[in-house]
Amino acid sequence: MTLTRGQKRGVAGACILALILISIGVMASLFASNYQLRLVYSTFVNLIVVLGLQVFMGNSRLTNLSHSAFMGIGAYAAAICVTPVAMKQIALPDAPWGLNAFALDPITSALLALVITGVIAFLVGIFIVRMTGTGATIATLAVLVIVHSIFLYRTDIFKGNQAFFGIPQVFSLTSIVILAVVVVFISRGFRESAWGVMLRASADDETGAAAMGVNVTRLRLIAWVLSSLIIACAGISYAFFLGTISARPFYFNHVFLTLAMLIFGGMRTVTGAVLGTFAISFGLEVVRWLETGPVVVGIDLPEVLGLSGVMLGLVIVLTMAMRPVGVMGDREIEELFIRKR
Amino acid sequence: MLDIQNLQVFHGPIEAVHGISLSVASGQCVALLGPNGAGKTSTISAICGIAQASGTIAFEGTDLAKVSVEDRIGRGIAVSPEGRRIFSNLSVEANLRIGGGIRSDRENIQADIDKWFDTFPILGERRSQPGGTLSGGEQQMLAIARALMSRPKILLLDEPSLGLAPRIVAQVFQMIAQLRSEGMTILLVEQNARQALDISDYGYLLNNGRIQAQGTSAELGGSKDMMAKLTGLV
Repeated sequence: MTLTRGQKRGVAGACILALILISIGVMASLFASNYQLRLVYSTFVNLIVVLGLQVFMGNSRLTNLSHSAFMGIGAYAAAICVTPVAMKQIALPDAPWGLNAFALDPITSALLALVITGVIAFLVGIFIVRMTGTGATIATLAVLVIVHSIFLYRTDIFKGNQAFFGIPQVFSLTSIVILAVVVVFISRGFRESAWGVMLRASADDETGAAAMGVNVTRLRLIAWVLSSLIIACAGISYAFFLGTISARPFYFNHVFLTLAMLIFGGMRTVTGAVLGTFAISFGLEVVRWLETGPVVVGIDLPEVLGLSGVMLGLVIVLTMAMRPVGVMGDREIEELFIRKR
Repeated sequence: MLDIQNLQVFHGPIEAVHGISLSVASGQCVALLGPNGAGKTSTISAICGIAQASGTIAFEGTDLAKVSVEDRIGRGIAVSPEGRRIFSNLSVEANLRIGGGIRSDRENIQADIDKWFDTFPILGERRSQPGGTLSGGEQQMLAIARALMSRPKILLLDEPSLGLAPRIVAQVFQMIAQLRSEGMTILLVEQNARQALDISDYGYLLNNGRIQAQGTSAELGGSKDMMAKLTGLV
């Protein structure tokens, strides 16, 4: 199989990003405290979500606000499959359909969770991809709210706002770094594939692309399902690391956090997704520290709770106003090294 | 090769073309002339399958009514659309690749891309640049090359001279004449009647969604009132 120029560059770019991710992982495992390790782990989980989001939003340029719901579906599906029967009898005593009477190994559970998320994403996607602009955005918002309501009120299956506990903690920092590297290659691979290029063409000019024989709805659906599967991976690795999940983390706060990451870094490129995730994660930690009212060079700063939420809003607004394409714009990382002739 | 009977084209509730008939024989270059709003682009859109239409469009004897856009391209219909519609954020090379998107012979696609970069060295120099950075004339060349990437049997050219400087227009027409001499079948939509007829075998004059006149290029070119009809004064 021969690669196009774009695909060769894609391989180079993905390798550079993979090196960066692996270095961050190695540094963290050498020097980080337990608390910092958890932060780095959650940053990698968010990175996978943002990469998944990039696959759909970056190539089709439709806005998705339901991604955290699909992360939740992946997390809950895997959690319900993998948790030992004894634990589930306590956690979900009233579960229907014998959900508390079986337990699978982590790999089968993860695969089953991916199949379940994929089927749901496909069914939802059939409607979403036929809409454009604001209509599509509002429809994804509705999906988020519907899924969240089901998590909250079917307490016999999901335990609602209470913690779903007892999930075997089979993931480590190493596993999430490997997963993130694989996802970087998948998302860059999709961007440079024939499907990715045609989808980006349809984002530039939908009618023009249709006249070239590009089947826009089919390509959007492919990107939507792939995106949801990647995001489900993030959900599964979240559950497999923490050992306990609840409905709260899969809602608005997480939607806007990951959206701010993608918008800031630049949604059109995989590099932008990686840059945005690490920049915002780091920035948030600084802001959280400022929130507590620390003493900086002899000045006792006041306590400002809620500053991190304000910062996320500011990042979205300022990026949209001053550089709508995000920091990276249309440039992938390898283009910073290969100078134009 | 292409035979259109009683074609009506609709944009929502508005009927833009009111039952026209025209045909293009293999190896011919046929000009479809007319002023703004005559229904030329609507006709092209209907042939491509991206506009709502009634009547029959037959290509090589097959009715295209139930044939999808992709399959029409697969059967050999390609278009260089009005306003060129270059994908401005994609590289020049990716634009060409999309033109060949329906082909399955992947190894030959790169060879065809390289052939076009040889034909138009300026495109080759800018292969990695976004298509939107090209000049109007370069974009038109790219649009025609992109259409030819699907190795069509008939090429639909929608106003290739639109918005270009006279010197560039001459180059574009020279390229079309070259394609025709190589045996390509062409349906050329133009407002630039004189130059279009110079390189065509046959012409149709369209106005207000109806065919007002037709004939060989010599007949139409000699017709005194044609220019008046073209400008909508009749």
